[in-house]
Amino acid sequence: MTWLSVAFKNLARKKVRSLLTIGGVAIAVAVLVSLLGFDAGYQRALTGNIDKMGYQVLVTAKGCPYEAATLMLQGGGGLRYMDEAIYEKIVKDPRIEKITPQLVATAFDKERQGGQGGVVLYMGIDPSYLALKPWATFKTGGWFSGDEADEAIMGYEVAELEQRLPGDQIFIPNVDKVLKVVGIFNRTGTQDDGVIFLPLKTAQRIFGLPGKLTGIGIKLKDLGTLGDFEEDLYNEPGIQVISMAQVKGTIFNLIASARTMTNAVALIAVVIAVIGVINTILMSVFERTKEIGVMKAIGASRLDIFRIIWMETTLICLIGGIAGDMMAIAGTHAVEFILRRVLPYAPSGQLVFITLRLLGISFIGAVIMGLIAGIYPAFRASSMRPVEAIRLGD
Amino acid sequence: MFRSVLVLLFFANLCANAFAAVGCSLNDPDRDVKRLFPESTGYRTTFVTIKEAGGEALERDIEERLGDKFDTVYESPDVPYAYYTVLKGKDVIGRIHGVNQKGQYGGLQLILATDPAGRIVGFYYQKISSPESAVFRNKAFTDLFKGLSLEDFSAYDVKEGAANEGRVSKIQDPSKNSGEDFRATLRGIKKNLILLDVFLHAPESGLGKEGGK
Repeated sequence: MTWLSVAFKNLARKKVRSLLTIGGVAIAVAVLVSLLGFDAGYQRALTGNIDKMGYQVLVTAKGCPYEAATLMLQGGGGLRYMDEAIYEKIVKDPRIEKITPQLVATAFDKERQGGQGGVVLYMGIDPSYLALKPWATFKTGGWFSGDEADEAIMGYEVAELEQRLPGDQIFIPNVDKVLKVVGIFNRTGTQDDGVIFLPLKTAQRIFGLPGKLTGIGIKLKDLGTLGDFEEDLYNEPGIQVISMAQVKGTIFNLIASARTMTNAVALIAVVIAVIGVINTILMSVFERTKEIGVMKAIGASRLDIFRIIWMETTLICLIGGIAGDMMAIAGTHAVEFILRRVLPYAPSGQLVFITLRLLGISFIGAVIMGLIAGIYPAFRASSMRPVEAIRLGD
Repeated sequence: MFRSVLVLLFFANLCANAFAAVGCSLNDPDRDVKRLFPESTGYRTTFVTIKEAGGEALERDIEERLGDKFDTVYESPDVPYAYYTVLKGKDVIGRIHGVNQKGQYGGLQLILATDPAGRIVGFYYQKISSPESAVFRNKAFTDLFKGLSLEDFSAYDVKEGAANEGRVSKIQDPSKNSGEDFRATLRGIKKNLILLDVFLHAPESGLGKEGGK
């Protein structure tokens, strides 16, 4: 009979208690994996979202930083406008690889959001937009027929919501304008999926903002020149510069505090599981005092007893680790579903990203947890004196 | 910057929500059921797809009865339709069901309330994007559909957008320049009534079991 089978048999004696302890470890591991998976997934999704904006720098009209922030994500309300002349000036800068002017406008549509009304975003763009966002490809249709055409290209989701296809019309409330749909973008997984795009000049005309822009997206030839470039633009009157690196850093700082909390929760779950395992094994040791005494009396060494008890503890954590990993994988969609409802902002993309490495680390962690948790009960058991143990066991 | 990012996150979430729902379930079932059937004491919700209820054969059957092909993108067989079986005690006193229908300027959401025999007792646009949405929503127009049943729509040709005879032929387009929305409305209502009839008789849908009376 091997040490392993002895340990298995001992655990099988109290099936319910062993299963409950394994369950506790599994839950702790599943929580740990889910939280770490969320940590990795959230950062990955957010980075992807920001990178998919396509530009490293956004130039906006000087004003409230709140407006700049709303513009950055995809427009928002209460926007400030700057003169198109600024674009003409910046576009000549040799450090720029790609640049695109944008005019974001909003219209309140009382039909949106289940009849409660919602803001529809319209963005005036020119062909440079596609150069900056090469992933913005057409599902159907194509580009506008002219710079001032009364036409629209729809983001994937808004087209689906409005059941539009190229050739169809759309109605812009508030300004009472009808436009012809000429193209629908493929899904990008970004906020652009919910935007209706117009030729820049058409947007300026329809929304009564001739010669105005809300933003200029810029990608530099050499990212190393970003600091100087930003510095030069800070001297331009009436505009402000927001770098994506700055935004990313701020968001990650926000996440860092949330990460500390989630890690603390995971740690507490692990500690509780360890205490549960120690408690279970100690109870098992006390119940088997006489048996351990007999084993020692007939020749079992301290090391033999230590090894059996240690093996039991490790087995509990090993099985719990496997079950926890499986629970975490099985519950990924459920966790993501819940997170998307409770988080103030959930970027598009996979929020809980569980990798094989993460599963491996959590599994090894569970085994180590078992090894540590087993030391004290195993020591107690191996330290028993045979005669005393037999007497106490009676 | 910290505050800016918070606002960014807030708006991002707001915009994401705006495009979250695509199906045609009631905006506020508790409120809407009570408004359409004030005497109701409860309701049951069933989601049915053509795919589940009968698959391709059923789709062909519905298209034949409708007299028009389904839109391959927006009327696919896996679109879930929501059915609210309205109860008064244990008795079924009616049903509420809606469909998405492609309109002239955007998607229409047409909601029908029917009695157990399938006659329309209430009709409204849950969503309509049109410069003339007010005339379509006017009670004088929507009330014209009260009392109609699937039988009344059998004479209505959805492709031609006309009915030679019967009560449906008497319903006039209330708009000046949105004739396509008017025809879409009639197509959507006919489709809605056909789907109800089909799902009630398809054991796989589970709807007929609920509507025992």
